[in-house]
Amino acid sequence: MRAPGTVAAGETLLAVENVSLRFGGVKAITDVSFDIRKGEIRAIIGPNGAGKTSMLNCINGFYYPQEGRITFKGETRRRMRPYVAASQGIARTFQNVALFKGMSTLDNIMAGRTLKMNRGFFWQLLRYGPAMAEEIEHRKVVEEIIDFLQIEHIRKVPVGKLPYGLQKRVELARALAMEPELLLLDEPMAGMNLEEKEDMCRFILDVNQQYGTTIALIEHDMGVVMDLSDRVVVLEYGRKIADGTPEAVKRDQRVIDAYLGVAH
Amino acid sequence: MDTLYAVFIDPFMQMGSAPDLLVQTLWEGLVAGVLYALIALGFVLIFKASGVFNFAQGIMVVFAALTLVGLYEKGVPAWIAVFLTLGVMFLLAVTIERVVLRPLVNQPDIILFMATFGITYFLIGFGESLFGGNPKQMIAGELGLPRGAVEMKMLGGFVSFQKIDIAAAIIASAMIAGLAVFFQYTRIGRALRAVADSHKAALSVGISLNQIWVIVWFAAGIVALVTGIMWGARSDVSFALEIVALKALPVLILGGFTSVPGAIVGGLLIGVGEKLGEFYWGPLIGGGIESWLAYFIALAFLLFRPQGLFGDKIIERI
Amino acid sequence: MFYRETGQFKTSYQADMAVFPIRQDRIGLALILLAAFVVIPFFGSDFIISSVMIPFLVFSLAAIGLNILTGYTGLISLGTAAFMGVGAYACYKLTTFFPNINIIVLILVSGLFSAAVGVLFGLPSLRIKGFYLAVATLAAQFFLQWCFVRVPWLFNYNASGAIEVPQRTLFDIPITGALASPETRYFVCLGLVVVLTWFASNLLHGRIGRSWMAVRDMDIAAELMGIRLLNTKLLAFAVSSFYCGVAGAMMIFLWYGGGEAADVFSIRLSFNILFMVIIGGLGSLVGSFFGAAFLASLPTIMKFGLPAIGVPLAGATAEHVTFMLVGALIIFFLIVEPHGLARLWQIGKQKLRTWPFPY
Repeated sequence: MRAPGTVAAGETLLAVENVSLRFGGVKAITDVSFDIRKGEIRAIIGPNGAGKTSMLNCINGFYYPQEGRITFKGETRRRMRPYVAASQGIARTFQNVALFKGMSTLDNIMAGRTLKMNRGFFWQLLRYGPAMAEEIEHRKVVEEIIDFLQIEHIRKVPVGKLPYGLQKRVELARALAMEPELLLLDEPMAGMNLEEKEDMCRFILDVNQQYGTTIALIEHDMGVVMDLSDRVVVLEYGRKIADGTPEAVKRDQRVIDAYLGVAH
Repeated sequence: MDTLYAVFIDPFMQMGSAPDLLVQTLWEGLVAGVLYALIALGFVLIFKASGVFNFAQGIMVVFAALTLVGLYEKGVPAWIAVFLTLGVMFLLAVTIERVVLRPLVNQPDIILFMATFGITYFLIGFGESLFGGNPKQMIAGELGLPRGAVEMKMLGGFVSFQKIDIAAAIIASAMIAGLAVFFQYTRIGRALRAVADSHKAALSVGISLNQIWVIVWFAAGIVALVTGIMWGARSDVSFALEIVALKALPVLILGGFTSVPGAIVGGLLIGVGEKLGEFYWGPLIGGGIESWLAYFIALAFLLFRPQGLFGDKIIERI
Repeated sequence: MFYRETGQFKTSYQADMAVFPIRQDRIGLALILLAAFVVIPFFGSDFIISSVMIPFLVFSLAAIGLNILTGYTGLISLGTAAFMGVGAYACYKLTTFFPNINIIVLILVSGLFSAAVGVLFGLPSLRIKGFYLAVATLAAQFFLQWCFVRVPWLFNYNASGAIEVPQRTLFDIPITGALASPETRYFVCLGLVVVLTWFASNLLHGRIGRSWMAVRDMDIAAELMGIRLLNTKLLAFAVSSFYCGVAGAMMIFLWYGGGEAADVFSIRLSFNILFMVIIGGLGSLVGSFFGAAFLASLPTIMKFGLPAIGVPLAGATAEHVTFMLVGALIIFFLIVEPHGLARLWQIGKQKLRTWPFPY
């Protein structure tokens, strides 16, 4: 389904080196380095306000870090427009669902295909011939994703009317429609009940295994993080305090202090 | 070369050679600016407290002035007419809160903005059917406002100041000071600032949103009446003011939507900039540039500082 | 009862993606077109055609233009009338320079000029959002209106400052100028509106329409998905202004037949078009027609309809009451149905579809 990437499985897909981000005097991220390997599920955890979402924002070009370098597929950059990140194969979902509320599920996911569609304005005017063929071709891909995430029944429903759990799923579908190499998930299970969480976990694992998509995820549910992820990076107050396998991180004294507090 | 000279050098030579004219133009600009600032102030009051971008503020000015003059023409003594008009503005605030704002709570800003278009059109129609569409004379004399002009000899010429303009500046300053004190130091003022920050949070600590809305819309109504009197005393009271009132928008952009000092500084800047532009640069391209200059000043400004003069830098979050 | 989709199975994605997937809708559309092309021109009076139908078509096109910008892309514009004016003046200059080219071609080409001006004034939209953008479009409104008065080249240095519509023919039938009959002018308007509406519908149902709506609903997410904001917004400005420009050219050449165009394209007209879009339904093509029909017929109804049912109204009062009514209706619609007449229409259809067993 997907063209082979230039990075082989197990090698570094994305490297973050010494990244710092400030808003005026507020330091959101200070000198953070880590890497994401092709094909793995990488969790980013940390207490509230640790700079996790800001980190994702840096990775896909929404914020510009003042210092440091980000290397994706061997290309290093400091500043990048979000659409360049998107066209290089970085997709994401958002902490607070950021769907296109006025559009149907189908249109939302189809919008995820925008980058792959290139029929020009005049064919679009006619909506005939090549433009129609292109629509149908992409519709087929989208239907596969809909099928995969089991959201057939809400295909034509405006997403603003959907319950929260389904909205999160549609958002995942939209990100998948971009056929990303790197998928950033910002708290994909926030506010879900146990059953919905289990579903979502299964989808994430399936995406990782079936499509071979590399996934970076922010999550607060430690059980989920420990089960899903191959490696975990822990942030606190914008600094990296631990990095390694879930088991190693779980035993790290600084992580325990950050989550449980330090006895004084 | 000639064009460059005409645009970049000649106007300043003119300013230098006739400083009295420059002062006169600046004064005219400041006076226009005070009125823009007053209209903008009405906008800011409402925007701060309810997040509604009140497009109808300009028409509220006309409506207040028309009501005042209309009542006077019906034989009501001038000062009683003022109080009756205040009453009308209060009724208007209550009605708007009941009929427009309350059913639209929690709607997107843009919907509320459009609703104020509806208020604008309704008030135009309502005002015209009550008072007719003809321009009216403001009852400035009856209200004890001064007439005539003060001529001052300065800078080798004469500069004339209309007394009414001086009065307008003083009254406007007093009113702004009063409002500032009211909002900073009273209980209602504090509640109002709370509402401005977050409707839901304010509701949850027991602040009555409806009451606050009535109060700010009434306050904006008072500002509108004062503006209307000042404006009417300079020219006629008519719906032509509707177009002029739109000038408050560039003022707001300069000053920021939530800043009272911003509205004042912005108003003065726009007023002065507009008059200087018209007087010194207007003739170069045929005059009448007052109609759009303010918008271009605001636009140019926006491109460099999208958050306004006094606004904080906006950090987008997701 | 006749409005059912039972038994109509879609067997291809193409069928599912059709603009009118239900057969009855397609029949309805055919009937409407039949009425517009046959019934009205042959049975309508000149009065109906020239003071109800032609204004309705012109306003519909302008409303579609504004809806593309405001309803679909979420960019508020208060400068619609100015962009219409650009179309009208461009068309006037084009007829002067190219007297031999068919006027219909020129009307369409003048839309391109309007599109160019629209893009120019749309440039700030990348940095400016919401109300701020409304002010940018006000700059366009007042500046362009000033140009219409102060740049005599635009109206060929006429002493009156008015546009004089020359006589132009198609197959030897006059379609503009004093000799053109209301029916021919109506046909030209109708043809243009039908074709341009079809184009708009195609655009909106495809990739471009989705990008516009994505920018409207959540611009940051759209950008992070690879939709280039500036290009998308400028394209919306261009297409929207094109429609407005064509509507403006039609307004002067096919409806007014000339006149003091600078007064016509005032901020009041901008507001009126905006109201049509609000009342009709933001983000709905069919709503643009509903809104235009409603506001275009309201003055006529007030002037002639009310006296006919025994409510006497003087001319001026009627105008004032119209104002009040429009204002009240806007508020009413925003409260009751922010999606306007178009949504009511949809709800009605949905009810009909499931009638008599809605569950």
